[in-house]
Amino acid sequence: MTDFQDTTDHEVKADMAEIAAHKYREGRLTRRGFLSAMAALGILPALGSKAMAQANEIVVVNWGGRASEVLQEVMADTYTKETGIPVTVDGSGPSGGKIRAMVESGAVVWDVCDSGMGTALILTEQGVIQPINYDIVDKSKVLDQAAYSHGVGNYVYSYVMASNPKLLGGNAPQSWEDVWNTKDFPGMRTFRKSVRGMLESATMAQGVAPEEVYDVLNTEDGLKAGIDKFRQLRENIIVWGSGSASQNLFLQEEVAIGNIWSTRAHLLREQMEDGSFEVSFKGGVIAPGVWVVPNNNPAGSDEAMKFIAHAQDPELQVQWLEMIGSGPANPQAAELVPAELQKYNPSSPENLAQQIFYNDEWYAKNQIRAEEMYVDALIN
Amino acid sequence: MRTSAFRIFFMTLAWMVLAFLLLPILVVIPVSLTDTSYIGLPKEELSLQHYAAYFKDPRWLAATWTSIWVGLVVAACATALGTTFAIGCWYLSNRASTVARWILITPILVPPVVQSLGFYRFWVTLGLIDTHGGVILAHTLLALPYVSISVFAALANLDRRIPQAARSLGASVWQTSWQVVMPAAYPGMITGAIFAFIVSFDEIVGVLFITVRNVSTLPKKIWEGIQESIDPTIASVATMLVLLTLVATAIAIFRNRALRA
Amino acid sequence: MPRLSDTWRYWFLVLPALAIMIVFYIWPLIGIWQISVTEPALGLDNYTRMFESSAVTTSFVITFRIALLTTIGCLILGYSVAYVISNFARRVKPLMVALVLLPFWVSVLIRSFSWIVLLGRSGIVNDTLRGAGIIDAPLKLMHNEFGVILAMIHVMLPFAVLPIMANMRGISPAYVDAARGLGASELTAFRKVYFPQTLPGVMSGALLVFVLSLGFYITPALLGGGRVLMISEYITYQIQEFLNWGLGSALSVALLVLTALVILVAARFVNLRSALLERN
Repeated sequence: MTDFQDTTDHEVKADMAEIAAHKYREGRLTRRGFLSAMAALGILPALGSKAMAQANEIVVVNWGGRASEVLQEVMADTYTKETGIPVTVDGSGPSGGKIRAMVESGAVVWDVCDSGMGTALILTEQGVIQPINYDIVDKSKVLDQAAYSHGVGNYVYSYVMASNPKLLGGNAPQSWEDVWNTKDFPGMRTFRKSVRGMLESATMAQGVAPEEVYDVLNTEDGLKAGIDKFRQLRENIIVWGSGSASQNLFLQEEVAIGNIWSTRAHLLREQMEDGSFEVSFKGGVIAPGVWVVPNNNPAGSDEAMKFIAHAQDPELQVQWLEMIGSGPANPQAAELVPAELQKYNPSSPENLAQQIFYNDEWYAKNQIRAEEMYVDALIN
Repeated sequence: MRTSAFRIFFMTLAWMVLAFLLLPILVVIPVSLTDTSYIGLPKEELSLQHYAAYFKDPRWLAATWTSIWVGLVVAACATALGTTFAIGCWYLSNRASTVARWILITPILVPPVVQSLGFYRFWVTLGLIDTHGGVILAHTLLALPYVSISVFAALANLDRRIPQAARSLGASVWQTSWQVVMPAAYPGMITGAIFAFIVSFDEIVGVLFITVRNVSTLPKKIWEGIQESIDPTIASVATMLVLLTLVATAIAIFRNRALRA
Repeated sequence: MPRLSDTWRYWFLVLPALAIMIVFYIWPLIGIWQISVTEPALGLDNYTRMFESSAVTTSFVITFRIALLTTIGCLILGYSVAYVISNFARRVKPLMVALVLLPFWVSVLIRSFSWIVLLGRSGIVNDTLRGAGIIDAPLKLMHNEFGVILAMIHVMLPFAVLPIMANMRGISPAYVDAARGLGASELTAFRKVYFPQTLPGVMSGALLVFVLSLGFYITPALLGGGRVLMISEYITYQIQEFLNWGLGSALSVALLVLTALVILVAARFVNLRSALLERN
């Protein structure tokens, strides 16, 4: 297994794969808009000036399932059409451990990997991934918080407050404090089977300002207080283990309120009857997915960077949003998002303003202990 | 016969318990006919859409087929291994063979999650993760206890003097086993094979640990369906399996009646 | 000489299955113990952590409580069925036996699924009760211990009925008839004469249900809502969520040892051979 604590939330990626699969099945995912996206692409960075040392193939790795096919269709095939360079999407899951093992063994077969902030930071420390070439990749086309030296954001998702007003007498909780108020908002709540993205909400429910959440959690008392909030609420808690489980809990009306992934909220909004689903990004926790490039990647550094630059295209990113609800990492995409989706886009300016960024450093330091305390609070 | 309050009490209780056993299983039937896209009773009309969904979805069909053929292979392997084992133990009938029989039934007693953990780690070293061979091997191990128990039970009725007589008349151990002991073990082998098939066909925890993407069995699809999607297709699959079981049970009852009559 | 070689030949019949079982089953089980003292570092850290964690302790308590309640439930319900089948049922006997066996053949997954459909907040039970005006607000039937135990009793019941029935088959009606002849009431004859004779069967059933319940995973994981965290689910939780093989293995070893202890203690009251090795 991995020899370091990988705090990146890979499950959310697998979850997107699943959403995509579902949509494919229902025939809602088409090639709609692809051609216009192609037209909009127009210029590819650094193509004319540099020597055309064309790579044979670029291998992009993500977390499998049908999401790999979506990635293939949206990002890879469009790139091939532009450049003639074949792009293959491999869904075998580029965990930090695998990337490291590959680089250290000298047999690198991956060019671009869909990773997470935590993994990217660790891999940077271990010196197995390349710095992002911001001459090719456009720094202005990615959220500031998701532009690292060795990794760059590819999409974002959030932990958000979702509720079913129908079960709450027409009310919807407006803050995390409301979520913990079982008197005015009776009913079951759902939280994740892990502290990720949950502890933050419990801390805000104590009236802590969003920007101070991780400062508070860094203190022993702050962590305990956060955990204690779950102990108080536990009779009203059902936990979700997977994104679809959280979705199910809402669909089956098992829960009235929940802290769930924005990607799932995006689907629920379509599936639930009018007036029975509300989602608020207020006090949400936003986390980006990150592209990383392993050292000595077969296609060469520049080719990998060019593909990443291609995937920054706002129109393509908006398609991602439409398809599986993952938010564009490119702030310029916000204005291209159709009005009715704006509210549900984790990275729209309005939503960004009321959320905090997932703090990987905190998790690297505290997660194991926090998880243990969390389980204890829920069952003991 | 006079019916006393005592009897009425027990009869009522017993029938209630039997209803408790049966009725919950039957709820999958109305749910499978729902016209909604989520799990629940039919709202406006009955619909066969979730059956159609099953038969149209290559992944459900592939998983079903995998479960069937893996189950058959497991039944064959476990019956062959378990029968020879039980016959050998029956011949020996000493302390050492009893220990061997205890070893063979450990899979019944070890918690599924624990044994699956063991499988996982070992299968990784063997390169058996996510292969059909790996699943067949694991399921054969889990099915062996049932075969060996039922074959051994069948042999309990065999008179030890018969194979001895065959031996003294010059038959080899193999001939004796094949022609004298095997026929006596036959009913136990049939029961064992059915058990082995069912064990494999229903097994889920092990499959969750030792398969990833390449191998998908019916229980795994159902598990994913319950945990991860909102698909009433599982209800239709469940209904078909329940009906199949009901029919098989009914046939078994009538065959028994016929045999007794 | 020929007798000796015969013994060897018999062992050749035994060996294939035995060898496969030892190499591919027992050996990996022992491997778990090894993981628990080597990952992440050599030593007993995982066990120290396990004993210090109140979450682990609670999970063990929950596990034993649920196993115990399930066993009691199964024995009470299972005994009545076995009793009626063995003594009163005549023409309907095959039907009753079939009804006991039927759930046996339907997978645990499907039965758990049925309970989810029944017990949910807007499940069939709640909807029916609400529709009939018996309750206003839905009852909490699932995502708690009640739901888990109910579904587990359903799953485990055949394991209690069968050994009890097997035991009752061997009880001669003569004793009860004699007691009745001497003027004992039906209830007294049952209590004083019949019931004591069935105790071995009851014990076998209890052992089987208890041991199987201890390691149960599927039903609690599906119906427990994450708060009825039995040890098996805790183990998968450690391994799947945190890749924490060390602690997961230590927990597995603990569960295995406890299961073995239960069986050893039970050996004082139960004929293990007939309960486990020779059941049919």
